[in-house]
Amino acid sequence: MKKPLLLIVFITLTFSLFAHDFVNPIGGRAAAMGGCSVASRGLWAMQNNPAGMAYLDKFSLGLYYENRWLLPETAYKSAALAVPTKFGCLGLSFNQFGSSKYSENKFGLAYAKDFGPYLQIGLQLDYLLISLGNEYGRQSAVTFELGIQSQVTEKLRLGTYIFNPVSFKLEQSINQEKPPIVFRFGAAYQFTKDFVGLCEVEKNTDHEGVSLRGGLEYEVLKNFYLRAGAQTNPGLLSFGLGYEIRFARIDVAAQLHQILGASVQIGMIFSIGKRA
Amino acid sequence: MKRLILTIVALSLCFFAKAQTVIDTLSTDALNELLIEQVERLAEDSDEDVDYEELLEQYIFLVENPVNLNSDDIIKLLELHLINVFQYEELQKYRRYYGDFLFLEELEMVEGFDEQTLAIIAPIVQIGKDNSRDKITLSKMARYGKHQVVGRYEQILEHQQGYDPISDSALLAKPNSRFLGSPQRYQLKYTYNYRNRIRAGFVLEKDPGEMFFTDHVSDTIKALLGDKYHRGFDFIGFHLYAKDLGIVKAAVLGDYQLSFGQGLTMWTGMNFGKIETGSSVMKQGRGITPKSSASEYSFMRGTAVTLGGGPFRGTVFYSNRKIDANITETDTLEAAEYVSSLQETGYHRTIGELLDRYAIRQQVVGGHLAYAVSHFEVGYTLHHTWLSAKLQLSPSNYNQFYFQGTQLTNQGIDFKYVKGKFAFFGEGAMSFNTDSTTLLSTSTGATALSRFAGLLGMTVKPTGYLNFTIFYHDYGKAYQNLFSNAFCEGSRNQGQRGVYLGVEVAPAPYWNLLAYADHFRFTWLTSQAYAPSWGHDYYLRLSHSFNRRTTAYLQIRSKTKMKNSTDGLVFSHYPIFYTKNSVRFNINYGFANGLVFSNKAEYAHYRNDDGSNSQGFFICQDVSYKPENKPFSLTFRYALFDTKDYDSRVYAYENDVLYSFSVPALYGKGMRVYLLGKWKPFNSLTLYTRIGSIIYTDRDEISSGLTLIEGKHKTDLKVEAIWKL
Repeated sequence: MKKPLLLIVFITLTFSLFAHDFVNPIGGRAAAMGGCSVASRGLWAMQNNPAGMAYLDKFSLGLYYENRWLLPETAYKSAALAVPTKFGCLGLSFNQFGSSKYSENKFGLAYAKDFGPYLQIGLQLDYLLISLGNEYGRQSAVTFELGIQSQVTEKLRLGTYIFNPVSFKLEQSINQEKPPIVFRFGAAYQFTKDFVGLCEVEKNTDHEGVSLRGGLEYEVLKNFYLRAGAQTNPGLLSFGLGYEIRFARIDVAAQLHQILGASVQIGMIFSIGKRA
Repeated sequence: MKRLILTIVALSLCFFAKAQTVIDTLSTDALNELLIEQVERLAEDSDEDVDYEELLEQYIFLVENPVNLNSDDIIKLLELHLINVFQYEELQKYRRYYGDFLFLEELEMVEGFDEQTLAIIAPIVQIGKDNSRDKITLSKMARYGKHQVVGRYEQILEHQQGYDPISDSALLAKPNSRFLGSPQRYQLKYTYNYRNRIRAGFVLEKDPGEMFFTDHVSDTIKALLGDKYHRGFDFIGFHLYAKDLGIVKAAVLGDYQLSFGQGLTMWTGMNFGKIETGSSVMKQGRGITPKSSASEYSFMRGTAVTLGGGPFRGTVFYSNRKIDANITETDTLEAAEYVSSLQETGYHRTIGELLDRYAIRQQVVGGHLAYAVSHFEVGYTLHHTWLSAKLQLSPSNYNQFYFQGTQLTNQGIDFKYVKGKFAFFGEGAMSFNTDSTTLLSTSTGATALSRFAGLLGMTVKPTGYLNFTIFYHDYGKAYQNLFSNAFCEGSRNQGQRGVYLGVEVAPAPYWNLLAYADHFRFTWLTSQAYAPSWGHDYYLRLSHSFNRRTTAYLQIRSKTKMKNSTDGLVFSHYPIFYTKNSVRFNINYGFANGLVFSNKAEYAHYRNDDGSNSQGFFICQDVSYKPENKPFSLTFRYALFDTKDYDSRVYAYENDVLYSFSVPALYGKGMRVYLLGKWKPFNSLTLYTRIGSIIYTDRDEISSGLTLIEGKHKTDLKVEAIWKL
């Protein structure tokens, strides 16, 4: 009985490995809310929708680790650094998926600016690098990602994000491979002071169909958050907790995939500086 | 006193402002619509025919016997999922602070009671003095008790093949090729109710095809049936129930239902399945309830008593009844020795079905002990079941962990904690089966752990108009229980686990959004899928009431499961995915003269992973005329359906005679019409008649086997009389 199951797991995994994974929603908060991130603010917005870091007013450093399906080979690591300036917020980011045998890397330089409450715009220039182990060499590409967010009403914020809109080819790739185009659109609704609901839709050109996502966050106690979310295509249910202290916050999440089991995510953000 | 002033001020404000109070502006049929939706959802989820009458019995009882808001009976609203656990707490709190309710309108001031809840419960609550401690005397019982008699006749008018005449020799050669009785269904029910505290009643029923007094069979058939030969009413039930007699909180003799905790250890009868109230899947055990319906499966017959004192409440029960079973080996002197299955349909129409009738005896003994303090409740349930013959299923891989043998013990602990914005609930249970057959299967891989089952959930209400639920269940593959009826996918509380996430929001007044995602996994084979399988169920429903007479909802659902491939080229079964997506829109709108229109449209799409797919469409127009102050009403439906096959079938609720419910599965091509009339010649007498027909355009014969009809249409007639005293 175990064998066919293992086979299915292997095949499914292989499929998902064919698809590039440069733009997985990053951060313990997004992971816990079914991947909803396009209308969220914070440091990790740099990776999910750079517009969301426009309002950042502290020097922040974030580290993120995802143990996908609890396999070290499919780990996802990410780091980000944000420096708020007078002209907007600047950021540096690094993502890595995979292991030494195969890895996908993304280096980013981000910039976001706040044009009043109705509009924030963010941009990230990316250098993508796929490393196929020693024998097969490397493939690389340069691209960019772009996002906007808008606080439409006091409670409602909308976000749109597009990754790799021009779809550059990967250099040295045998099959003229291109990184996917990813488009996200979503909303965050602040029902009450302590309760947020998120929803979004994502189209990834590497995947069939679209992915629908929904998430909710409840501040159970002061600075202590309870989160849950769901996502279709692939079907995931996710849960998580977050805790915030003055200069740091930690977010943990677990995503449950029906076939592949659990993935665990942990993210930490350290911020220095005073609120402006 | 403070509250009285408050109320008067509030009410007079309303009146002076010439504004109607919310209660006056509510949709009139909200409870009905709620039940329709629940019933339709249940029909979609269950593979078998559901006995809605049994399920909705308690709701009908409430409609006729409203709950006194000033008594402890308000728990009934929670038990029947008409209010959620937070609303229940608020109601209790309100009463504690302000004392008894004086006006129904006060409900609007209880926190968390939105328009929708008010619309649902307004018709079934009343304000009265709490009389649960009054002395019951015979003279009061005779004076204030309510009697009711319901008689019903039902029949499919077309001739069905099972009623064809046949010679004895042909019947003996193929004993199950004919129904022995007549095609009518008769039911007679009597109930007595004294202020919801003393209830009694009986029910008599004969299903179509069962032998009535007027039906005859030849002596050879009679000899073949032996002591199983039976004419007259096939099902006879009665109950005698009392509650709130000092420390005796409830006592019953006769037929009853039991439900405790979250239903994992003991919950007889039906429930609505996944969603209960809002996003929550939390259940509220009802303890002992009398059973007055004619449902023939899953109930207790015997006696039960609940005693209560302080924070403790204890129930003991005993049931002893004969149940239907398929006998495989019979000892000449004794009764059946082995049975290969327990029959659940309650039909005794053919020789085979009659031979199975009441073949074995089932005895259940057990108890429940509950301890409740302000926010916390914990309960323990233990019960033991005996069968008079050994149950030995025909061996198959998927059923090897099912209950077999003669004896089964179950026990479980349930808890509930509700405080502020949080509700936590759960139940853990385990089964013991000492019979050797199961010992054998234990050696094939059922570890001790797989005899456990558990569920755990949390519902959170961050603010009044919003709640969400996270729920996990894991039922071991060898968890065996004949009376388990907790949250599950499919119908078996065994061999599955899953995670459920639900959310309900009222984003604006008169708007309501409900959505859930449910991921489940079968840890063992099922009769449909010969390998462990998985699936998911996504649901979204948006409803709005435009005004008092106009309500609408849109429902989208997508469900994926696995079943064996039917591909003929494959030599061994393996499960593949199938998905059913459906979109439904429903609107009801009425006019001041008593005319109500209702439309429903549904589109269903079914897709199999082996490439086959099908589509179904349903559209209908209902017209009902219910003039005020007139003793009659009429309802008419015209519906068209067009589905490629049974997989893309559509379920549509139909109005029916009181106490009866129909949700037929429509498939193929054709139309469905019915006309329902109600007439109340005197205050004490109500008459109902319904005639309906399905007219197919794509076939010349309907159904198959014994119920085969040669023709394009199938017509059903129902007549009912209700006499109240």
